[in-house]
Amino acid sequence: MISFSYALKEIRRRKYRTAVNIAGFVIAVSTLITLVTAARGWETCTSVPLNSIGTDIIFIYTAPVAPVSNGCYIANHLFAFPFNQTLLNDLADVPDVEYAVPILMHRLRAMVFTGIDPTQTETNAVLPSDVIEGRYLTADDGYVALVDKEYAELNNLTLGSTVTYCGNFVVVGIVDVGATNIVKSHIYANLPVVQESLPEKPVGLVNIALIRTSSPSKVEQTAAEIEERWPDASTLTGADLAETAVGVIQIGEETAWNISIALTVIAIVFVVKSQLGNVSERTREIGILKAIGWSNRNVVNQIVTESMIQGIIGGLLGCILGYIFASYVLSTIGGEVGGALNLVSIDPILIAAGFVIAVAGAVAAGLFSSFRAARLVPVEAIRTT
Amino acid sequence: MTTRNIIEVSNLTKTYQTRSGGELKAVNNVSLEVQKGEFLTVLGPSGSGKTTLLNMIGGLDKPTGGKIVLDGLELSKLNDGELVKVRREKVGFVFQAFNLIPTFSALENVEAALAPTGIPKSEQVERSVALLEMVRLKERVNHLPAELSAGEQQRVAVARAFANKPKVLLLDEPTGNLDTRTGKEILRLCHGASREQGVTVVAVTHAAYVGGFTDRLLYMVDGQVFSDIPKSELEG
Repeated sequence: MISFSYALKEIRRRKYRTAVNIAGFVIAVSTLITLVTAARGWETCTSVPLNSIGTDIIFIYTAPVAPVSNGCYIANHLFAFPFNQTLLNDLADVPDVEYAVPILMHRLRAMVFTGIDPTQTETNAVLPSDVIEGRYLTADDGYVALVDKEYAELNNLTLGSTVTYCGNFVVVGIVDVGATNIVKSHIYANLPVVQESLPEKPVGLVNIALIRTSSPSKVEQTAAEIEERWPDASTLTGADLAETAVGVIQIGEETAWNISIALTVIAIVFVVKSQLGNVSERTREIGILKAIGWSNRNVVNQIVTESMIQGIIGGLLGCILGYIFASYVLSTIGGEVGGALNLVSIDPILIAAGFVIAVAGAVAAGLFSSFRAARLVPVEAIRTT
Repeated sequence: MTTRNIIEVSNLTKTYQTRSGGELKAVNNVSLEVQKGEFLTVLGPSGSGKTTLLNMIGGLDKPTGGKIVLDGLELSKLNDGELVKVRREKVGFVFQAFNLIPTFSALENVEAALAPTGIPKSEQVERSVALLEMVRLKERVNHLPAELSAGEQQRVAVARAFANKPKVLLLDEPTGNLDTRTGKEILRLCHGASREQGVTVVAVTHAAYVGGFTDRLLYMVDGQVFSDIPKSELEG
């Protein structure tokens, strides 16, 4: 296969041109891998806290709406003021709201105690899938509780142990809700039991509603509608969380792809220009080859092979560099919700896609420039000095 | 075309448009026949149309008018792809400027002519080595053109011209860049190989010593055949 060895020789002969072409592909591929990974990391980082509890919108009140007595106070480190549980029915009537789930979070010093409705198994502060030992709660449960894995380990709690928080609760399940759960608590019990056991007796009150919308595309619109209807209330969505995330790159995946594709196109144009210059420099050689019996297809194969080798080298180097950059960027994203990043890794398919794009781009560039070479008339090309 | 003629040229014309809008007839109504195995030398002053005639016979250039029949194929009726096949299978070229690929070794330069034929690589190498041996360059197969003398480079070009067992060998000033001794050696090489393999040779040259090899002399002036002298008269 003389075209391959010829291609390698030509690549070596034109070191500067080759280096520039390869650099173009390296930049395009490494940018693709870095930006798309960063975008996925960032999006995961900002969406996991809500997705992990199956909700699209968290509803809270930012102003008092119900009286609270002394002693234990109804609050948590994120959300404060309680509201009447019947409000959930009104929330469910808002267009595009599928349902709303009540949560009552109560904080006492460093401990958080949460009342849940265990019949809600798709959207909740703790889900049946979070149970790692024992069982989930039922609607009939009384003074029984689920405890967080870390809290249980710290306090030597096992199934059947008793945990005390404004009352004694028997541990029936150990749960692992993950670090990114935005309503993570130490103890979970049935909502009516929590309402009854707290010293304030907040019967009929909750302080969080987890809202599920009919479609992810309706989230922002629905949140705006809710805030309009309840001016003292506040909503939290994935987009809001995104604003709180920090990192080197905050970018959507679609934008990342668009930037990368634009860079790849620029790289291809660059390589085409460079290859055209290459063809121009080799006019005489191409004429000789055509004179001794090389067909247009042979010439095209030759130029494309050269371009493809550059694409393969550029693609491989771009993948390596992209992996390094992406790893670094992932390590910087996170901020307040950064734990999610443990869930993001660099996608091997993305790396493969980067490589394929580089090679395909190189072949396209090679084809484009080879057409000019193929059109050369041998007798005229040979006369070129 | 008689079975003895491998080349038949009838009323061949090649006209170029000049920048001033005029016409220049590089080859003007040339007719000639070349027999199989014949060594024809074309002489003439610069600009007399020798190289243009040679390029058209070899399918490198297309005539404006007239007809060329090469080994039974009328070249003016062939498309570009078919002309490539003619150049690959029936014609071997040797140019004044050697026209070797500078990044290829001597062996690879010869192989380059075999590469598009589909012959297995091992056979390509074997045949290329044998050809380089024929031109006495066996010890220089891996040398680049820049590492070879002018005579050696032209010998590589001769080996390349014979690579595809051509029926016609076209020599365009093959001795133009060589000293007399080396030039004679190249002509002797081409003459010997063509005799051995029954290859027809059409040589364009200024070298006076070509008379020792040629069967016939064609003298061109202003794109036309001025005289056509057979070997019998040359000897006389």
